[in-house]
Amino acid sequence: MIRGPISQAKSILLASLSVALLLLGYTWVSHRQHQVNPKDTTIPSWGQLADGVKKFTRPDRKEERWIVEDSIATGRRFFYGIGLGVMCGFVLGMLMGCFSSLEAFLQPPIALLAKVPQTAALAVYFVVFGTGLSMYVAMISLGIIPALAVTVYLAIKDLPSEMLDKAYTLGASHFEVATEVVFRQVLPKFIDAVRLAIGPAIVFLIAAEMVVGDVGFGYRIRLQFKLTNMNVVYPYLVMLAFFGFALDYGLRFLQAKLCSWYQRDSK
Amino acid sequence: MTLSDENNFGLQCQGVSHWFGETKVLFDLNLNVHAGQFLSLIGPSGCGKSTLLRAILGTHPPHRGKILTLQNGRLANADRPGRDRGIVYQKYSLYPFLTALDNVALGLKFDQTTTAFRWLNWVGWGKKRREFRDRAAAFLDKVGLGQAMHLYPSQMSGGMQQRVAIAQALIMEPEIILLDEPFGALDEATREELQEMLLQFYEENKVAMAEGKKPPYTLIIVTHELNEAIRVGDRLVGLSQYWDWKADGHDRSPGATVVYDKPAPVFRPDERPDYELFADIRQDIRQVVYNPKVLQRRDEHVNLSPTS
Repeated sequence: MIRGPISQAKSILLASLSVALLLLGYTWVSHRQHQVNPKDTTIPSWGQLADGVKKFTRPDRKEERWIVEDSIATGRRFFYGIGLGVMCGFVLGMLMGCFSSLEAFLQPPIALLAKVPQTAALAVYFVVFGTGLSMYVAMISLGIIPALAVTVYLAIKDLPSEMLDKAYTLGASHFEVATEVVFRQVLPKFIDAVRLAIGPAIVFLIAAEMVVGDVGFGYRIRLQFKLTNMNVVYPYLVMLAFFGFALDYGLRFLQAKLCSWYQRDSK
Repeated sequence: MTLSDENNFGLQCQGVSHWFGETKVLFDLNLNVHAGQFLSLIGPSGCGKSTLLRAILGTHPPHRGKILTLQNGRLANADRPGRDRGIVYQKYSLYPFLTALDNVALGLKFDQTTTAFRWLNWVGWGKKRREFRDRAAAFLDKVGLGQAMHLYPSQMSGGMQQRVAIAQALIMEPEIILLDEPFGALDEATREELQEMLLQFYEENKVAMAEGKKPPYTLIIVTHELNEAIRVGDRLVGLSQYWDWKADGHDRSPGATVVYDKPAPVFRPDERPDYELFADIRQDIRQVVYNPKVLQRRDEHVNLSPTS
């Protein structure tokens, strides 16, 4: 039946089956490849993958563990960029939603910025900001600001004016209408927008690291790929995927905690 | 507060006219509402009830004329929404992110504390919040929602939502409360329950008046249901574009004005009115207010009640 429900046991079984099939499929493809070329490193066997993991978790010649230095570098760039972008995007969106003149003033640059592919504009960031932390932060934040600001300001436009007028009749000041009525209503949609912005942010960051990084996930993946050390590249990709997944889950949790009414509403 | 000549106002409309380009909507509308009155506003569709309500609310001030309410003890122009006027809409009156209790307590919070106080004085705000919630809970108890205090609007039925919305507006005791077709989306049985609830508040007004105090609740209820208008209101005001404007020297309709203003029978909350007895009043209103073919002078059916 279309959209018919299934039991929880069945859904867990099917989920584990898909994971098992993926792993089995990989093992088989890798096995076939090694029959053709026993020294192959493009589709490493499980043993080769274990070697790769050892390589990036143990200290290298300079007594540095790759995984540690890469995580710190990439994480710093990512969180500074996301943090600045989220703050600016939210404030801009609130201002545009609340003040029509600011909306008219800010709409052209934001619409333009939204349409520029960040990865294509990398050269501009290198020229303007160099290749240090500030470049990554500027690129990530400018990349996500348009989408976030537009989400916030459209959400504010969507609010029925009755809700705002009502607040004034209850004695609210302009500031209270903005913080207690508009903000509360917009928050869940904003968290959704941040969840969607994580994907592009990671893309921008990795792309920039691949081009100019001297440490970080993008740098390591590019370098190890050139040496065809796919036993390092694959685990790095898996870690990136888990990182994105964990952030997404965290934000959903935050949304459920802060805006329990919204979850109820969307059911 | 004792009732005196100085504070016996809910609302004063003086010569209010409004138009949208060539379309004339309201013409020279005069209306005095006194503290404690429950005024039912009726009229054919397109007569400008909503325009008048928006003008009183202050979101769309009229092009000509004055709308005055008591603001901080003085009569002042109501040219923007303010704490002296409450409103209940047919929908969107409640905030979906607040429980029933917090929706009702919201006005007390906005009115009696400032953002700076709430952000800086946590202990003081905690105390105040408990006090506001207690008051809101008591009020919800009064409207029969003691059990539903912690529900969000999306978890409540339409009737419960309107009860909360009315409580949210009434707890503020504004000078005047506007109810814009508040029960329009509800079924007949729920409507009657809510009418009874409004009449309970009218009883509180009577008690206050008997003690010489200022009655706490003054309201204008807009409705298209004549029985509801007659049962809930103690005064019926009909707004209509169908009046004899030619006799006043206009060559085309200048807009709607008050053509009917009479006291209405008063009922106790537990009293089930015999709607048959309303037939004469309904007939009267249909002729004067709703019938485009019957044109009369604008003041012919404006019998101001003795209190006015």
